[in-house]
Amino acid sequence: MQPAGPGHERWADAAGAYLLGALGEDELRAYEAHLATCPVCREEVDELAPAADALPASVAPIAPPPELKGRIMAEVEREAALLAAAGETADRPPRRRWSVSLPRLAPLAAAAALLILGVAVGLGIGSITGGGGETIVAQVDQTRAPDAKVELQIDDNRGRLVARGLPAPPRGRVYEVWVKRSGQAPEPTPALFAPNRDGSATTSVPGSLKGVEQVLVTDEPEGGSTVPTRTPIMVAETS
Amino acid sequence: MAHDFRALADEDLMQLVRRGEARAFEVVYERHATAAFSLAYRIVGTRNGAEDVTQEAFLSIWRSGARYERARGSVRTWVLGIVHHRAIDYLRRAFVHDRRRASDEGIEERFEAGERTEVEAARRDEARTIRAAMDTLPADQCQVIELAYFGGFTHTEIAEMLDAPVGTVKGRMRLGLKKMREQLASGEVMR
Repeated sequence: MQPAGPGHERWADAAGAYLLGALGEDELRAYEAHLATCPVCREEVDELAPAADALPASVAPIAPPPELKGRIMAEVEREAALLAAAGETADRPPRRRWSVSLPRLAPLAAAAALLILGVAVGLGIGSITGGGGETIVAQVDQTRAPDAKVELQIDDNRGRLVARGLPAPPRGRVYEVWVKRSGQAPEPTPALFAPNRDGSATTSVPGSLKGVEQVLVTDEPEGGSTVPTRTPIMVAETS
Repeated sequence: MAHDFRALADEDLMQLVRRGEARAFEVVYERHATAAFSLAYRIVGTRNGAEDVTQEAFLSIWRSGARYERARGSVRTWVLGIVHHRAIDYLRRAFVHDRRRASDEGIEERFEAGERTEVEAARRDEARTIRAAMDTLPADQCQVIELAYFGGFTHTEIAEMLDAPVGTVKGRMRLGLKKMREQLASGEVMR
């Protein structure tokens, strides 16, 4: 049996709450950091995960209305046609606004944290101009990504994030790109990504960057979020 | 035609979805829409809300199909994980924690999915088996698991609700899942 990681006593009972999504944001981050160093907790999470994964199947089956499939497939086919017309190397079509109404005020503290992030991260920022485009060195949260270097390359109001040394997102999560305009809450983009094994990653920022003040990246549950649930791992100031 | 893809495994379909193949996505939807809608309904408590959540989740899956990784489990677990996240997100946006939920029995009377295929019948059996495993848990363990997973409450909120120490709530969650896993493993219904 492998020895427990540092601080194991504090987390000895947390695996269930973690798998049920019941840890608060700060605790979740701290627990995931602990998991990285504690084989005992990792083993327990792996052991209990099948029980948590079975919970959705405990619900009595209810057939969705047939028209729901029609609505979803109409959008999928529209986007597939755009994708086919644009060619295989094109980005996925931009995410349309949902038919459900989004909140007027973001309910999560993480959203507010994004608005004041410049203070929270507090690292160097730089900008290199030339060759018809601009390269902005992003601020990176060094507590989570001590070796990461991220650049936002902008050309004709189109942005591309290029990262090196980026750690993999926590289990079950993915990096999501957000754009923030003046005085507004961050808007989700369809750009979801994970770095390669060597920590490198390149992803386009969907849409025009005109009017965008910041491009941000957070880790979010698989499939992405409509509002940020974490503070950003990196921010690029575009103005 | 979607028919051409129906013989493929979910994991193979996701490779096609990644390349923008709408018919492959349609098969993924057909296979998992009932489970997704049922879970969304169980969490948000309204039919309209469940439709919105299911639509959000599947369009998100269509747009982020490249993010599915075999190593992290089945497509079904991945899909339902996304639905769960979207549903909890919906709850928190709508502040409807105090909503009145219909009982499972009532929902089944009105919207029960027909057992048209062997797969659907097997899913229903699986649901019964998992509910039976949950029923074997002590009531206080089952309660905290349901409040967390289906209610979207944190362990701190649950502790306040139940007037119990946070450590006790965390312990009940852990022990409950542990016992559930043992029950399910003995019944050979683990996925």
